[in-house]
Amino acid sequence: MTQEIKTIPFTYEALSQLKMSEGVLELQIGPAHAGSGHMRIVAWVEGDTVVKVDPDIGFVHRGVEKLSEDRIYIKAIPMVERPSLVDTVNANLGYVMALERLLGIEPPPRAQYIRVITAEISRIMSHLYGIAIYGIFMGSSTVFMWAMADREPFIDLLQELTGARITYSHIIPGGVRWDLPKDFAENAEIALKYLENRTKDYEKVWINNPVVVARSMGVGKLSAEGAIRLGVVGPNLRASGVKYDIRKEEPYAAYEEFDFEVPTFKEGDSYSRLLQRVEEIKQSIHIIRQALKRLPDGKIIYEDYYKRMSPLMKKIYDEKGRVKFTLMLTSLSPPKGEAVSRVEGGRGEMFYYLVSDGGKAPYRFRVVTPSFRNLPFFTHVMPGHKLADIPVIYGSIDYFPPEADR
Amino acid sequence: MAEKSQKKSPLSDVKGHIGALSTGFKYLIDPHRITLDYPAEVMELPSNYRGFFRLIDEKCIGCSLCEIVCPSNAIVMTQLPVAQPAQDATRPPPKFKKRPLVDWGMCIFCYFCVDVCPTEAFEPSQVHDISYFKESDYRPTFDAFLKLPESPFKGSKKVVPKVDEKKGIRYEEKVNKN
Amino acid sequence: MMDFLNLIPVTWLPLLESVFYALVFPGFIAILLLAFFIIWFERKAAARVQMRYGPLWVSKRTGGIAQLLADMIRFSFQEFIVPEGADLIPFVFLPGFLLAFSVLPTLFIPIGPYYSHIFPAGYTLLLSVAFTLVIPVYLVVLGWAADNKFSFIGALREAYLLISYEVPFILAIASAFLLYGTLNLVEVVTIQERSLPGIILNPVAALVFLIAVIRATGRVPYDIVEADSELVFGPYVEYSSLMFGFVMGVPYIELYSYSLLFSVLFLGGWAPITGVGFLGGLIIPGIVTFVKAVIVMCALVFLRGVYPRYKLDKAVRAGWSWVFYLALIALLLSAFMSRVL
Repeated sequence: MTQEIKTIPFTYEALSQLKMSEGVLELQIGPAHAGSGHMRIVAWVEGDTVVKVDPDIGFVHRGVEKLSEDRIYIKAIPMVERPSLVDTVNANLGYVMALERLLGIEPPPRAQYIRVITAEISRIMSHLYGIAIYGIFMGSSTVFMWAMADREPFIDLLQELTGARITYSHIIPGGVRWDLPKDFAENAEIALKYLENRTKDYEKVWINNPVVVARSMGVGKLSAEGAIRLGVVGPNLRASGVKYDIRKEEPYAAYEEFDFEVPTFKEGDSYSRLLQRVEEIKQSIHIIRQALKRLPDGKIIYEDYYKRMSPLMKKIYDEKGRVKFTLMLTSLSPPKGEAVSRVEGGRGEMFYYLVSDGGKAPYRFRVVTPSFRNLPFFTHVMPGHKLADIPVIYGSIDYFPPEADR
Repeated sequence: MAEKSQKKSPLSDVKGHIGALSTGFKYLIDPHRITLDYPAEVMELPSNYRGFFRLIDEKCIGCSLCEIVCPSNAIVMTQLPVAQPAQDATRPPPKFKKRPLVDWGMCIFCYFCVDVCPTEAFEPSQVHDISYFKESDYRPTFDAFLKLPESPFKGSKKVVPKVDEKKGIRYEEKVNKN
Repeated sequence: MMDFLNLIPVTWLPLLESVFYALVFPGFIAILLLAFFIIWFERKAAARVQMRYGPLWVSKRTGGIAQLLADMIRFSFQEFIVPEGADLIPFVFLPGFLLAFSVLPTLFIPIGPYYSHIFPAGYTLLLSVAFTLVIPVYLVVLGWAADNKFSFIGALREAYLLISYEVPFILAIASAFLLYGTLNLVEVVTIQERSLPGIILNPVAALVFLIAVIRATGRVPYDIVEADSELVFGPYVEYSSLMFGFVMGVPYIELYSYSLLFSVLFLGGWAPITGVGFLGGLIIPGIVTFVKAVIVMCALVFLRGVYPRYKLDKAVRAGWSWVFYLALIALLLSAFMSRVL
């Protein structure tokens, strides 16, 4: 690798030597701290330079994988959404895709398009959240309030569709639960135009702000080989110059019918990670517009499941566009086997692995979230920078502790 | 796509400062406020919003599908005495019926139960901001579950959020036609 | 009213006037009322930029201006906790010293031509600047007194910034001295009344002065010492109850002293209005100076809604590079303009 990252190893001798050396201060940027989130960052600082960083995670571990071994398959849908709280549709989509591969069914095209639309809206919301957290860690509450306020039109859009603000539980095996309302297309166009107008304000106040440029250019540089070696994912990988996006590598859910670019940046510093997210928002807007224009007609639930509905359920589907669950969905028992699904979430690649032994609950359910994969930034990129760069790097990689802890 | 090149230091810095300050000043003069004066103004939610719901006793058949499907195990089927046994001469009249009871503290309002019920026995509402003083109030009795909850902000001004191109969300006051 | 004034022995008048100057008008009571206003204004200005309302609920009809009063009442009911390893005497008594020294410069800044009857106005520029330079030293001791690693790091940062930004500040003051040729602030305003305000004569010195003021009082983008997402609140982190209200209010009082100095040195002080006597020579021009100072303060606290925070080493480097060069340019410009004046 071109840039050799020297780190102090996690052995007893190295750590005790570190603790006893003079001039090294051990700081607990602990859970009750304005710049730490739900985790503890133990930083050893020599003067103003960070020598070693140890992220102490696990404060919000809820045991999603173990809990799902005891519950029927469909109960895991709300459980899988809740760790990655701002990017719920992609998490939901990944789990349901793995389940559908086990069951051997495919949703109809209209359901795939609706899944893509909600997934891209969720990606826009996740990137806006990342920009907001980056701003507040640098001390500007303006960008925090603006980015959170700009999520509101999209939350409102999906509230009209599903009935909830963030945790939709919209995607079920076989399709989706609710059909698009009549004025969804025009409201979505208004919201997208609003976001494009706001991009100019963001550029003046935030992206071209000399203080932001001074604070984040050149900070947290990670070369392309370094990114591949550390195994980071998502916009952090693409901002370091590696053009890898699962929507292009292994297309799923109708992504091969849309044409969009995968932006990359050459330097791998915090400023390019910020620009990367702005570019990806623009690409998502492009995809949503294409999907709304070419939306196919048809059913939103798998044909076999529709046939098993009772007359009352079919009446409700035809009148209101709401899918009722048949008895089959509560007693899904896929045949023995295993399935893998990978989804490009807002923060990176989400990986799901389901093993079934023919029963009502999964035998093993493994989730790897993108924030967990981005942890090497703490241990390998932060040492060598100043103490004030810790929040800048933390905010730019969009690390979300509940998602990493599951 | 390569990153923007290194800037020519003083001039683009000065331009950046002036741009940031002028945009901030523009918003100082003409703010686009997006917050509501809650609870004096309350948002009117769409008709399919997932809020508290109630049971329609006549439609429920006690099939327990809602208990099976609830992801947070908030619904418990309870045996209740039957007030008036059915008038069927060929079999003995049932003495008990099974009906669901919801623990609102555990419910996540995912509406799996509403969507799985084969007879549409749950009637949803848009009320969502109720809180209780005692912990035991989170588990209502069966008679309380048969009634739709009342919104605690009856007297507040109701506004309807609409997506707007300039301001993001604009609030229109809801006019009651009756 | 005039009867009452005639009752007072004539020899007491200077003493009463100086007590009035120190305690009431640009002194203590005006500062307290102004602190209420400026903290409310900072939160409201930031809120207007950020698409929300700011403090509103406490007194709805007046836009929430009683918010600080409500906060103070709440602070006074809290327990004042002294950490176990903290140095007791600096921890408890230094905020009082900070408050006293931040109010002191206002005593030496004239707000009307009648000032020379109250205090000798000969060296007022030197005295007011000298008292403002003592405050950061107390801050460093405060950071050491609390037994906390974050306070310690905050104190070190204050020491670095103090050294690098006071030099351009002194150079800006020196260029103002060079421009007007006198240390007497009353004469400075008289010179500005004759010609143009100082901000037009030497804008570079005004800019350097403002940058140094933003650093000295800890306004965004230079609030490196306090309220970081790296050090929770810097040297002030261990304070609770009314002392917390104190140490939060002291930077605003420092800001007021600096703004008063700025409005006298560069904005013309009481320029269009002049008069004689206590009322016409002190109160009415004083209100003009005061309003100018409040406008400067409002402009400086508005920056909270626009900028994030600088990094320590970049700020120190800037203090020794382009801010220093600007201060030197200000000196040259002053030397040139003083020949014209």
